[in-house]
Amino acid sequence: MFKRSLLLGVVSGILAGLVSLAYQKVYASSLGYDFSEIVKPYNILATCVFAGIAAAVGFWALTSWLKGRGEIVFNFLLVILTFATILGPFAMKLPLEIEAPELFPGMVVPMHFFPALAWFTLKPLFFKPPQQQKVFA
Amino acid sequence: MKKLFLSAAGLLSLATVFALTLPLNWEIADKYSISFSTNGVSGIFKTFSGGIVFDEKNPAASKFDVTIDVNSINTGNGMQNKHAKGNDWFDAAKHPSIRYVSKKIVKTASGYQSTGDLTMHGITKETTIPFTFSQSGNGGTFSGSFQVNRNDFQIGKPGGSVGDVIKLSVNVPVIKK
Repeated sequence: MFKRSLLLGVVSGILAGLVSLAYQKVYASSLGYDFSEIVKPYNILATCVFAGIAAAVGFWALTSWLKGRGEIVFNFLLVILTFATILGPFAMKLPLEIEAPELFPGMVVPMHFFPALAWFTLKPLFFKPPQQQKVFA
Repeated sequence: MKKLFLSAAGLLSLATVFALTLPLNWEIADKYSISFSTNGVSGIFKTFSGGIVFDEKNPAASKFDVTIDVNSINTGNGMQNKHAKGNDWFDAAKHPSIRYVSKKIVKTASGYQSTGDLTMHGITKETTIPFTFSQSGNGGTFSGSFQVNRNDFQIGKPGGSVGDVIKLSVNVPVIKK
């Protein structure tokens, strides 16, 4: 269980990192502002993988502790934490040489959602979805 | 012929005297820095322009008339920039520039001192700016720092997370015109 969770975390982290790098390229080419000096590609990838591993540990811990309800609590926590982290880019003070700091959150905030999106997308491939309950008999 | 020679000599003398007493005009070069700092916020103004007439030997005949573009403020944070340009602070839409016009420049023990009118947020206050000038070849650099109380100019509300007294540092390289 822990190994599978960890593997999901690493793979979703790598996927989120690659999507983030692609988004950074698109953002820079379309708006003409490149923040790669502030958020280096290596750091983006490393942060996404770290987020994936943290999610994996959290998922394993909560599902081991709360059993059936663990996943529900985990999903809520992952989304809440993801939303909470977007405050960071808005509060960040960039070097004064950066011409348009107001465009910085537009690049970074979507990236904060990619690890959670990758996790939710890939999870069914690693963990069998729970049996659907028949609501209407 | 003698008259012509005397006239030419007179004109030359006049021109020489005039050239010697003419105050020096300076053009603001690139890489100037207009920075500010206070508790909670610091940053720069990116656009600065104006006329500088300055003669080290004759500071009394010198004059500064310079303008800062309020919209060029950069605190390093987009939200703070927007906030600073907004109604509660600089109100850049109504008051797009900060202007300083010197009235008197005197030599002091450590450099020079300019007393003039500083206009910010539509309010003009007499402000004294101590500064130094270092000349090298055809250029030079003005450096100075001074403090203003933002409440004197009704910028923002008194107190809060942003300090009332703002320290401004100016470093302006110039080239002889």
